[in-house]
Amino acid sequence: MLLALDTSTSWASVALFDGRTVLSEETWHAQRRHADELFPTIERILGHSGVALSGVDRLAVATGPGSFTGLRVAIAAAQGIARGTGAALAGVSTLDVLAYPHAASKQRTCSLLPAGRGEFYAAFYQDRNRSWKRRSPFIVASLAEICAQIGTHTLFVGELDDAAETTLRDLLGPKALFAAPASRMRRAGYLAELGWLELEGRKQTTLGEIEPIYVRQPAVGGTFAQPFAPPPRDDLALGLPRRD
Amino acid sequence: MRILSIETSCDETGVAIVEDGRRIIANVVASQTAHQVTGGIVPEVAAREHLRALDPIEQQALRDAGMELRQVDAIAATVGPGLIGALLVGANYGRGLALASSLPFVGVNHLEGHVYANWLYEDGAVGGPRGTTTGGLGPPRTPQTPEPELPAVVLVVSGAHSDLVLMEGHRRFRLLGRTIDDAAGEAFDKVARLLGLGFPGGPEIERAARGGDPKAYPLPKAWLADRYDFSFSGLKTAVLRLVRTLEAAGDVPVADVAASFQRAITEALAEKTARAAAEHGVRSVLLGGGVAANLPLREEIRRRIAVPLHVPPPRLCTDNGAMIGAAAFFSLRHRTTEIPSLVRSNMPLA
Ligand SMILES: [Zn+2]
Repeated sequence: MLLALDTSTSWASVALFDGRTVLSEETWHAQRRHADELFPTIERILGHSGVALSGVDRLAVATGPGSFTGLRVAIAAAQGIARGTGAALAGVSTLDVLAYPHAASKQRTCSLLPAGRGEFYAAFYQDRNRSWKRRSPFIVASLAEICAQIGTHTLFVGELDDAAETTLRDLLGPKALFAAPASRMRRAGYLAELGWLELEGRKQTTLGEIEPIYVRQPAVGGTFAQPFAPPPRDDLALGLPRRD
Repeated sequence: MRILSIETSCDETGVAIVEDGRRIIANVVASQTAHQVTGGIVPEVAAREHLRALDPIEQQALRDAGMELRQVDAIAATVGPGLIGALLVGANYGRGLALASSLPFVGVNHLEGHVYANWLYEDGAVGGPRGTTTGGLGPPRTPQTPEPELPAVVLVVSGAHSDLVLMEGHRRFRLLGRTIDDAAGEAFDKVARLLGLGFPGGPEIERAARGGDPKAYPLPKAWLADRYDFSFSGLKTAVLRLVRTLEAAGDVPVADVAASFQRAITEALAEKTARAAAEHGVRSVLLGGGVAANLPLREEIRRRIAVPLHVPPPRLCTDNGAMIGAAAFFSLRHRTTEIPSLVRSNMPLA
């Protein structure tokens, strides 16, 4: 039995999979409430299927790229569960999860997820020698930069708002293909399938090795030296020399 | 009752196993070294490090204790206040561990952890010394050492907090005052950087000040009249101006500046703590947080109060898992208020 957890973006998803069938799945728009909603959802998903966590011997977690803080919610939870139950844990790229349901189409596919600052995380998937898989590194770039690498018809999946879709149509014209809204979404059932495959015949990795695919380095320039105190208010600093 | 407890609110990753809120069976803390380079805490870096370090540290704590997870009775983790990304790592790992082991999960307020560090002792189970030294403040704490008497006034001072708290009883806290700008430890860090000393600034300033004259330079007291709140930005600015003036004159007597700064900051902290203790007629004063390890601060407070002063050993003043385990135990024993399980970067005291 495999439990799959994904809190990579503002969308979250949890599924339970027995190796053949997705027994239960919940996908919701968590916005920033992943941490509050993840555990109640896990308990609900298990309850729907009448499965105890002790009966789960495999775990899959989405490792991004995505929201750094969001990704760490499910990864930390998965590490804790794996440590508690002894279940094997697999990390699967969130972009791979998005592309996976389109493998049968053999279409050149591009998974996209918003990366902030007007940029997107992206990866390309393509059929070659009868094998459809990821053929690019994980990229973070503007849509224009991403499209500069596209010369042929490409199916876009992932989180694309109207503006992004318009931009892609403008840049690529008829070469830009869009999956139907429901099949563009990320569902933990697919994560579960990929995680199951990943764990077949592979020896256990160290739990601490499962970490987010960061792609981007943290902005170290702006240090955050004052994490708890409220912002300074000079007018409250009675009896003190004024700041220069 | 044995509690496995996790602390990841700032830049220390800690996991401990504590029995009955007092006896430390294991206490593993990993300080993040990445921040010594930046001279301050980068939240994203801290969260990344926690995720990498946490599971190995949990394993180490169980090894140190010679225990297995099934011998533990509850899982606790800090759920606030703190850096949200950092808190989420420890709290979600802890909730996962608890759910998977069918154990209760106890969310702990980090500040309550600092308070309850004053209840802890080490029992020599892990090859360490028997009893816990109090860093020059009397005999080591042992199982026989009585618990601090309540009510108490608690001063929590570190790089992240400067909070003055009234503890009316177990799980009955009232925030009397806090910093309105920098935390005390930050003021130490910033002045240390200004004087070309290392990070963290507290111990560096204390060392540098040893040979200095605390009355060499008059500096404004870091406080606000009438209230229990603190403000350190004016003092910091005054030190900056002083150092610039001295530099222009050609020489900065580091020891004298450090000693004068230390005197100004410890007097403000000590004065307000003593005043709160007198006003509320408490039976003891407790310290917590990294700056509590500062010896002149402890001496200054002791000089001004008429009740016993309790200070955890330096290792338990800074963030650690054991203090969270102690606070979790008393949360379970004194269920006067709801025990939190959700993470909040701002969290009021119980
Ligand atoms: Zn602290």
